[in-house]
Amino acid sequence: MTQQPPHRYLGKARKSVDGIEKVTGRARYAGDVYLPGMLHGKLALSMYAHARIVRIDTAAAKAIPGVVAVLTAHDLPVRQHQPSSRQTTTLARDVVRYRGEPVALVLATHPAAAEDAVAALQIDYEPLPAVVTVEAALDPAAPVIWPQGAPRADADLTAAHAAVARGEEQNGHTVSNVHERKRFSRGDAHTALAAADVVVAGTYRTSIVHQGYLEPHAVVADVDPIRKQITLYTSTQGQFGVRDEVARLLGLRPSQVTVVPMTVGGGFGAKYGILEPLAAAAAMAVGRPVRIVLDRSEDFLTTTPSPASTITLKLGATREGILTALVAEIVIDNGVYPFTLGGIMSTLLGGYYRCPNVQIDVVEVLTHKPQAGAYRAPGAPQVTFALESSIDELAHRLGLDPLELRMRNAATTGDPMGNNDPWPSMGLTKVLEVAAAHPLWRNRTPGSGVGMAIGGWPCGMSPAAAVCRVDTDGIVRVHVGSVDISGVNSSFVLVAAEILGVPPEQVEIVAGDTRSGPFAGPSGGSQITYSVTGAVAATAREARRQLLEIAADMLEARIDDLDIREGEVLVRGVPGRSLPIGEVARRAQEQPGGPGPIVGEGRAAPAENAPGFVAHIVQVAVDQETGRVQPLRYVAIQDVGFPLNPLMVEGQIHGGAVQGIGWALHEALRYDERGELLTASLMDYTLPRAADVPSIEAVLVTNPAPNGPFGARGVGEPPITAGAAAIANAIRDATGARIYELPMRDEIVFQAIRQVSKEECL
Amino acid sequence: MTTITVTVNGVRYTSEVEPRLLLVHYLREHLNLTGTHIGCDTSQCGACVVHVNGVSVKSCTMLAVQCDGAEITTIEGLAQDGQLHPLQEGFWEKHGLQCGFCTPGMIMAAADLLKRNPNPSEEEIRHGLEGNLCRCTGYENIVRAVRYAAEKMAAMQAAD
Repeated sequence: MTQQPPHRYLGKARKSVDGIEKVTGRARYAGDVYLPGMLHGKLALSMYAHARIVRIDTAAAKAIPGVVAVLTAHDLPVRQHQPSSRQTTTLARDVVRYRGEPVALVLATHPAAAEDAVAALQIDYEPLPAVVTVEAALDPAAPVIWPQGAPRADADLTAAHAAVARGEEQNGHTVSNVHERKRFSRGDAHTALAAADVVVAGTYRTSIVHQGYLEPHAVVADVDPIRKQITLYTSTQGQFGVRDEVARLLGLRPSQVTVVPMTVGGGFGAKYGILEPLAAAAAMAVGRPVRIVLDRSEDFLTTTPSPASTITLKLGATREGILTALVAEIVIDNGVYPFTLGGIMSTLLGGYYRCPNVQIDVVEVLTHKPQAGAYRAPGAPQVTFALESSIDELAHRLGLDPLELRMRNAATTGDPMGNNDPWPSMGLTKVLEVAAAHPLWRNRTPGSGVGMAIGGWPCGMSPAAAVCRVDTDGIVRVHVGSVDISGVNSSFVLVAAEILGVPPEQVEIVAGDTRSGPFAGPSGGSQITYSVTGAVAATAREARRQLLEIAADMLEARIDDLDIREGEVLVRGVPGRSLPIGEVARRAQEQPGGPGPIVGEGRAAPAENAPGFVAHIVQVAVDQETGRVQPLRYVAIQDVGFPLNPLMVEGQIHGGAVQGIGWALHEALRYDERGELLTASLMDYTLPRAADVPSIEAVLVTNPAPNGPFGARGVGEPPITAGAAAIANAIRDATGARIYELPMRDEIVFQAIRQVSKEECL
Repeated sequence: MTTITVTVNGVRYTSEVEPRLLLVHYLREHLNLTGTHIGCDTSQCGACVVHVNGVSVKSCTMLAVQCDGAEITTIEGLAQDGQLHPLQEGFWEKHGLQCGFCTPGMIMAAADLLKRNPNPSEEEIRHGLEGNLCRCTGYENIVRAVRYAAEKMAAMQAAD
């Protein structure tokens, strides 16, 4: 490898490009869009988990001053009547299948009137038997939620997160509440397990967890009734996917729909289109702009949280601590529509460690609850909790250092993932080495409440394009079609600045809508930095080439003798001969017979993904009297490839780690036996608060991705994967108790500690 | 309808409002001050914190009519003469923000905290901001941002 010159801007912490708008209240979110003639929409949500809609009496609602329309499914210009996913839902037709399913939409001139009208709606339901839990759904006598077979999605907008799946279909049986069975295997796991020196077994349960973005879903739909065009101002992670889905549902060409991505108030996988089809259809129906902004309870009731799972896991190993067998069953509660995380969960579960004999069976189950959806590294926190708890238990059984046991078995580049594809370049052993040397791990004493876990994510990729223009005042504009949910624009700026030789302040990122933005994939799967940076770099190189071409003429020098520094084109070795790039851009715009204005185009389509691995070390205090767990120290070590903008990368790690603490100790959506949501507010659904969490120490490991831009890897998702297991292992160290359930609330920890003391007394 | 007169960010407004109108909706929908955000409906998240007569208030817990005669400051009014408040600067410099949705409420709550405790420890900052949720930053850089502002304000005072 040739020695690269040191970077001028890349790899150095630089504050975010949109911070000024965000600290002054001038950032525009979807809910801040107010259009002339706009109507305020308010949803009537199903009160039942399963019921027939007998009658909707709208008379009283319509009589309220300011109410313009009360829409039900029959009023909407929607092509597809049977939704196949939450993303393709507008309003329920005849039957509701989860508490919170939208049944009617009131449109009024002001929000209070809409709210009053929803309260005045008379909706008669005939309750039907609800299948709420996985256990109930798997009962052979249970009512089948989709007697004609589960509806299949034509386009699954959340697929961006979890593209890796294979495995053998195990279906082919009669219609049931199981929509998919798959097996992922290699070797002969059962024979190997029987022959193992040591076996650890456990059943791990994880709860339904909500993404908990601070901004509830929001959309404003504008309509041009003559041209039959829709414009959506929305909080989304991917404008192109939303556009295609809305167009398909409304029977429009994609070009008749424009999706304008607004500043996103947190997405984490949940914002690939929930309200957009309904808002668009409603605007179409009444010929006026329609705004729908969910309140927090509605958001909990009618969006797509991460699925609950039950993972039964058996590990077999030799006395020396070499894994020989992994046998698992993963049962996933997907709610009302199919959602398939089994593939990615198996890919990770069977992939973190080298193990010749693996068998993972996946059972994807439907219940009368909201459809499951993607949440940051979807599926990874669940399987990582199970696997990393089991590895820790195995270390205790073998009397081995848990980190050393991991090192002996850690997968490296080329080893098989759970789907038997080889891992691309990955750095699990590198993060383990850094963890082993960290004082929190090295200096721990037994019982001090220190635990660790690893985790990883394949990270996504997709083709992307970008356009670069240089203005006469020297401002460089880079046009992209990606949504910045994590600080990616603040890295793109540095990439363009580095390549062009201009100060970052001179670079602007123009994020386009579906009309104006060059294509990019959705902001999910930790793919944007990895995928779009290549296009940004390519377009900046092209703009630089054009600048030098014209400047050579202006400066009467050879192109090879020119350089650009601090926004000035200069002739190397000739002090004083230089030109601001703005002047070069002006010449390009004005010169007859010249090459024409400066505009670069860049494209990229990475061929191989770049996984990101983490090792998290945590120290906890456990109150033996109450079971209360308090994390005291938290170290998050991550292979980030190369941090384009370390300030943004560290921010991702801090936030992901604390979301992992949420998984571990705080968060669960709970339903009663009738399918009523018991935790429909932030009083009942508890997100971690500032005082609940310790300072997070982010440690960046630079193990460059061979195909990543400047070596960068995706960084957003890996930091959420390991926290729950690391905390469980810390609790084990502090108390001797193994916790098999998330979240590890006080009463669960308390009971587990009591169990340990009982066993010790015997 | 009730008539109220309020001063918001130094500007006097007289408005006709429904008695049930919440302050946050008054600010956003009547005065077009959309920098104050709504993240919940149970006063948990703190995205809507503003100052009423100099004290931080969750503007979803107060009716507009209760503010008759009050002086209100929102995030839009925090910068003075085009100069960012040290907290605004701190949140930007220290990357105490990602999606930015909690940021206005977080800054307004932190401003009240610094008024009461100009030199808070990390622990005091974490406790002082317990009424404000952030889902993106893990609070790490928010704590650093508040420390940055505390130090900057102390330095400014020393210079005066």
